[in-house]
Amino acid sequence: MDEKIAPQLEELTRALGDLEKSGIRAEFDKLLAFRVPPEVAKESILRKFGGKRKVLKVKDLSASLKNFEITGRILDIGEKALRPQEGVHEGPSRLYTGVLADETGSVMFSSWRELPGSVGDVINVRNAYTRLWQNRIRLSIGEQSLVSKVSDSSLPPLSELSESPAKKLIDIGAADFSVRTVACVLQLSHREVLVRGKQSKVISGVLADETGRLPFSAWVELPGIDIGSIIRIEGAQIRMFRGMPSINILSSTKVSSVGSEEAESLAFTFESAAKDPAPLKIEEIDSRDSMFDIAAAGNVVSVRPGSGIISRCPECSRVVQKSNCRAHGKVEGVRDMRIKAILDDGTGAMSVMFPRELAESIYGKTLEEAEQLMFSDISKDAVYEDLRRFLTGRYLAVRGNSSKGEYGISFVAESAWVPEDDLAVRVVELLHRLGQDEEEPGSVVSGGGISLA
Amino acid sequence: MLKREVAKRVFAKEFEACRELEKSARSASETADSKSPNLLISPLGLILNRVFAIGVLTELDSIGTQNEMWKARIVDPTGAFTVYAGQYQPDASIFFSTVQVPAFIALTGKARIYEPEPGSVFISIRAEEANVVDEELRNRWVVDTAEQTVDRLEAFSDALACGYHGETLREYLLERGISGELAEGISIALERERSPQEFAKQLRASIREGLSALNFESEDPAGAKADQKEFVLELLREMGGGKGVDYASFVDAAVSRGVPEELVEEVVRSLLSGGQCYEPKIGIIRLVG
Repeated sequence: MDEKIAPQLEELTRALGDLEKSGIRAEFDKLLAFRVPPEVAKESILRKFGGKRKVLKVKDLSASLKNFEITGRILDIGEKALRPQEGVHEGPSRLYTGVLADETGSVMFSSWRELPGSVGDVINVRNAYTRLWQNRIRLSIGEQSLVSKVSDSSLPPLSELSESPAKKLIDIGAADFSVRTVACVLQLSHREVLVRGKQSKVISGVLADETGRLPFSAWVELPGIDIGSIIRIEGAQIRMFRGMPSINILSSTKVSSVGSEEAESLAFTFESAAKDPAPLKIEEIDSRDSMFDIAAAGNVVSVRPGSGIISRCPECSRVVQKSNCRAHGKVEGVRDMRIKAILDDGTGAMSVMFPRELAESIYGKTLEEAEQLMFSDISKDAVYEDLRRFLTGRYLAVRGNSSKGEYGISFVAESAWVPEDDLAVRVVELLHRLGQDEEEPGSVVSGGGISLA
Repeated sequence: MLKREVAKRVFAKEFEACRELEKSARSASETADSKSPNLLISPLGLILNRVFAIGVLTELDSIGTQNEMWKARIVDPTGAFTVYAGQYQPDASIFFSTVQVPAFIALTGKARIYEPEPGSVFISIRAEEANVVDEELRNRWVVDTAEQTVDRLEAFSDALACGYHGETLREYLLERGISGELAEGISIALERERSPQEFAKQLRASIREGLSALNFESEDPAGAKADQKEFVLELLREMGGGKGVDYASFVDAAVSRGVPEELVEEVVRSLLSGGQCYEPKIGIIRLVG
């Protein structure tokens, strides 16, 4: 027996380090006890513990990552006793939660095991994973994770890490909770909302810098600040709403105007930041968890089912099938029109949602006209089929917000148009880039078989 | 995460030259996923499965015996894509059963490779969705595709010039702002391609031809030559170019009306590479649309 498993164990040790210490050996033996062939057992173990090491920094974290290694300093740690689930005989489990930081950012973590360190210590976690918890990314340290304390680390000291980091808007994401930034106010409006039975004033708007835009809201007055002001915000809280970060200005946040002298040294002005966003490559959009108020362009490669005329619940606006709402039972559906299409520019693909007004303007038919089509045709998919014939292959530009989910990027369009850039200019540019190679004239032309000699 | 695969923009010439990309050739990051599609790699290092193309549908045959199966040929400025659609591609099959040849069509599909014996490789597209489009969209596709191909060609020559290999090359390319996938593709392509420059050079020439042949309605064509080109095109229409004209007799007719033979040839060549006319049979030319 031992002879058979020796090579497998050797290989595992090479890939994963000390097996005995990490409990991997026990795991391996357990599989063998179930008569799993050693070869297969080795593969399952490798799969589970990740033979290849993926080392990430905090800024690289995104939702649902598995099997990576991360090193950070503990900024905060607390412990919670959880009541055991019914039917589980083990004692109450403990959950350790806190904040881990490296030079690129900080992230909340939760650990199911006691950590070999406390506030200020640097730990190395292998086989960690991430979860989305309350709309933000959380680093999870599970039973399978290997945690060790790093005594000599080059990470910045605690005092430096616990300062809220200075960030450009584009770099603010689900992993941040407190930031410092300089940006320009693009939009601003005052509202009164009811918070816990109390009427409160809230200012909401949009901030911009040279990298992008983000929505903000302020729960305190912002004297002297209006559209066009360039402001420095320190200690603002980041909230996630529908996958989109938003900057929250609270009473603890410091907001100050940036003087005109300093404003000149910035990489943006109100004019440059307020310009309509230039179309991005979808590849770039794909590299971010979410982006606010951006533009992209590409071909409609597919119009998805569910486009066309739909019926919504009058109470909750959910899409209803056969007059049955998931939450409200039998309802009289309200007709609506929408288009869900895949926009692809060759560098990336994203699912774009066009709400009614946009759907009507792209399609060139109003909801009522589309209904006519639906009633005049026997097929219930008449509008969908017509949309497909009309849109598939077309070139569109869209502006709106993107966020990444389980099925890639989803983009909610706020406006859409057919771009009219001058192809002839691009051709001249391309011909220039292709250069005039020193070539024999009349080189082979493909596409036709006629001999033109 | 179940991500939709990107539809790559690639000219027929580069597409046809693709070969299978063995999973073992790829680095660790992607291989673990058993759901990963069968990928092809072009001589320039483009890794692809899904493609999006707009070109001229010049041939369409129903080749299925028991089941529905369509075979189509879609021409772009550099060559032609062979496209299949069968019973498992219902959307595309329905489309092909209604479309008229010739037409400008947009097509999304997945690359298939068939290698009955070493040395003979057939690359085709299994259609997913297709639609009739106009010439303007076709032109835009040509320009978009040319841009992305030229980006690739430039990255490729850069890779050749730097002299690095393997991992070093990948890192070098990443540093130059090349995407991870292309950097990987280029380093793999350089390992397997015997005369990479040759293909790149041919492709450059084809793209240049194709771009020069694009016909922009809004553009003011350059002088008298353009008028003559217009005349040749008009003549072709008159002689029944929509149905097909014998090439030799067409040249004779044009020459008899005072158009130099070289110019007729040049016009026909640019019409062919521009996709405005095609050859249903050797020696017969036919106008599109």
